[in-house]
Amino acid sequence: MTTTVLEPKDMNWLEKGVLGIDWSDGHKGVYPVRYLRLHCPCAACTDEWTGELRLKADDIPMFVAVNDIEPVGRYALKFTFSDGHDTGLFSYTFLRRYCQCDTCVPVKPQEPKSRRLL
Amino acid sequence: MADTSAGQTAQAGGPSKQDLIPDVKHVIAVSSGKGGVGKSTVAANLAVALALSGARVGLMDADIYGPNIPMMMGVPKAPEQQDGKIKPAESHGVKIISMGFFVPEETAVVWRGPMIHTAIQQFFRDVLWGELDYLLLDLPPGTGDAQLTISQLVPLSGAITVTTPQEVALHDVRKGMMMFQKVNVPLLGIIENMSYFVCGHCGERTEIFSTGGGERAAEKLGIPFLGRIPIDPAIRVGGDTGRPIVVANTASPQAAAFREIAAKLAAQFTEKGGGDQPSSPIESMLKKLKRS
Repeated sequence: MTTTVLEPKDMNWLEKGVLGIDWSDGHKGVYPVRYLRLHCPCAACTDEWTGELRLKADDIPMFVAVNDIEPVGRYALKFTFSDGHDTGLFSYTFLRRYCQCDTCVPVKPQEPKSRRLL
Repeated sequence: MADTSAGQTAQAGGPSKQDLIPDVKHVIAVSSGKGGVGKSTVAANLAVALALSGARVGLMDADIYGPNIPMMMGVPKAPEQQDGKIKPAESHGVKIISMGFFVPEETAVVWRGPMIHTAIQQFFRDVLWGELDYLLLDLPPGTGDAQLTISQLVPLSGAITVTTPQEVALHDVRKGMMMFQKVNVPLLGIIENMSYFVCGHCGERTEIFSTGGGERAAEKLGIPFLGRIPIDPAIRVGGDTGRPIVVANTASPQAAAFREIAAKLAAQFTEKGGGDQPSSPIESMLKKLKRS
């Protein structure tokens, strides 16, 4: 049952709007901020029972930034996005699973668009 | 439920551990899968055993619905207010806070989850804990609101689980341990309480709740087995009279077992980093990120 604890070893901005997380398993994770916002795991954005996304891409501005990041215990990060949303707890397991680097996602799906820019 | 992770929705924002309890080195949860295994007794005795070894120790009774710590620790004087904060009570060299100090003895606390969250947050934020080597949290049984709140509020240094040796208790141990794993809290080990009874008249040893279950569970889960505490009426008397057995009867096998477990616990932290505050690199990472 005891497994190696997954946690960030370093974090930095790879480019504007793209968060990089170096994980304890050696993987270098890549997280575009809008992707994170679109996949927020909070109960309002993701159905708690089915895991289905409730969010509509159109509701999320094309340019969304992270205003703040707070740690949650030893297992998650809480992002405050520039659209005011801040109720999602992004667990390390969740973030590791949704890495968007070229190895994890070699063929990138087209990013859902929105009519809202900001 | 969708397989994402524990409590994906933030209940309430709040200050980080650095702001909540900046001078506490190690926060240790004392948990159990089911009720009635003697968790509060173990928490109280462990806290006193650690204090007797020279450590600065606090004990938070996070069992808001059934706060027993004030009685078990024989607190002589209730907490006082100081500059709008709460000065914890103190007994047997341990700083103590409990909901038991704030509700009349005959009154039941009938609260929903958000109230529990607020109360526990206040126990961290509004109590003048000062500098502590260990803050032990006596949790309610199971995997409920208090456990989730604490896992989110502070980076726990680890969790201990108390169990009795029978299979039904061990079944719940595994569930509790899985919860802590889910929120990345290190499992420090299992304590088997009420392990056996030695008859005071004939000296015969009876394994009332079976035997060896705690050790087997620890082996199965790959976590340390911290020790077994024999059942003895003296432990119950100690709890009822406010004198934990580690001070009431220092020569008893129970007191020796608690001292040994406390030493094993302290050694785990010494091995990990000289007893310093658990590394919280995430805080410094986030500060660096904010600057860039």
